[in-house]
Amino acid sequence: MGRSQPLSTALVALVALAVGFLLAGQVKAQLLTPSNQVGRSQALIRSVQDLERTNQDDRARIEALRAEIDTLEATAAGQSQTTEGLKNQVADLRAHAGLTALHGPGVEVDLTAGPPGSDPSGQNRNLITYQDVQDVVNLLFASGAEGVSVSGRRITPVSSFTGSEGEVIIDQGPPLFSPIKIVAVGDRNGMEAALGDANSVPSLRIREIQFGLALHVSGGPNESLPAFDGSLEAPHVSAA
Amino acid sequence: MSARPSTRRSRRRSRSSAGPVAVWLIALLVALVATVQLRSQAEVERSLVQADPSTLAFSIDQLSRSNDELEAEINDLTNQRSSLQSGGSAAADQALQAELGHLRIVEGLVPVHGPGVVVVIDASGLTAVDLEDALNNLAAGGGEALAVDDQRFVAGVPIVQTAGGVTVGGALTPPPWTILAIGDVTLLGETADAMTQQLRSDPRVRQATYRVESEIEIRAVVTERPFVYGAP
Repeated sequence: MGRSQPLSTALVALVALAVGFLLAGQVKAQLLTPSNQVGRSQALIRSVQDLERTNQDDRARIEALRAEIDTLEATAAGQSQTTEGLKNQVADLRAHAGLTALHGPGVEVDLTAGPPGSDPSGQNRNLITYQDVQDVVNLLFASGAEGVSVSGRRITPVSSFTGSEGEVIIDQGPPLFSPIKIVAVGDRNGMEAALGDANSVPSLRIREIQFGLALHVSGGPNESLPAFDGSLEAPHVSAA
Repeated sequence: MSARPSTRRSRRRSRSSAGPVAVWLIALLVALVATVQLRSQAEVERSLVQADPSTLAFSIDQLSRSNDELEAEINDLTNQRSSLQSGGSAAADQALQAELGHLRIVEGLVPVHGPGVVVVIDASGLTAVDLEDALNNLAAGGGEALAVDDQRFVAGVPIVQTAGGVTVGGALTPPPWTILAIGDVTLLGETADAMTQQLRSDPRVRQATYRVESEIEIRAVVTERPFVYGAP
């Protein structure tokens, strides 16, 4: 009896391990669509994934470095009133540039692509484009947003939107795909009213009806925006 | 005395059943974590698999450029940290002054100058969306500071279609639009070229031209709005 118990435990562990491997193998196998097109694109996909990993690592390093600098500056500010005054001014500008996390009342906008094949013309108008995101962000700022993030990426004064079919790229970030979540902190009533206006973001509204895109809006008393973790370099501009 | 053996038996029973149960619980937990992990990987894989080769090539180009910019930022921040570590409050003052100046430029709070392009668009019937697109294209194509007519533009300055026409930051800005963009002239030149070509094919557009300048000055500034609702 004394020997059979560890044996049965080991057997159970082995079975669990085997189930784990089978499960992982099965799911991984499902990831790969058996088509020639995928085969041709695999090298490109691997390159994108490598670059995305580097991008993520670099962002993490930037975040860590900014935190270290903040601590060093706080220590220096404790020793000099001049430094403290400068640090307060910088803190205010950092907050407005999106370099600091922001929270407060606001709205969440969820943009979801329409079902595949819902645009019979083949123009993929069922997809969420970077222009859609740009339009919603502009509408939010026009109606009282003090800060905006798109799928966890904070919008800064130098932010721009690019991409191609169904792909949204913001600043130096990796591509984002549907569903896209836009969060804004600011005048909640103003933003809800603007988003509720049937005449706002007309391109999205029309495609919502025609191709099944979804635009869902919800308000909240305490929305949170992350700090920007990319680069605000502007090497060609100088103060006049 | 009689109670002891039964206690020992029940203990043995509970010990013998607790082992496999714990193993199963751990296995279940591992399976759950693995499934969540693989599912999130699957989402990413699926979205990339759905992308066509030109989209993937575009992503590679964008990400390469992005990573270069992130590397430059890391170098700057590393230098800033080193000077703070070695210098005390004098070094901190210097670093903070430099950052103040930089953030004022980025946020459009001070006049700026540098090389760039001047784009002129004359059209009737263009809307806020057209101007928004033009400014976004230039920002994405190397523009580091932008202005349209006498209005400074940064992301967050609203462009709105009103009954009276297009407003930028609340100021009516009727066409023709003269857009100033300071930044990398090679990138900006390519962007402006593609943009004006496309605009000229629009029947509403009478004129769409651009010129590269070695020195452009933008005097217009954005007025900083204090936070009313948000708290850092």
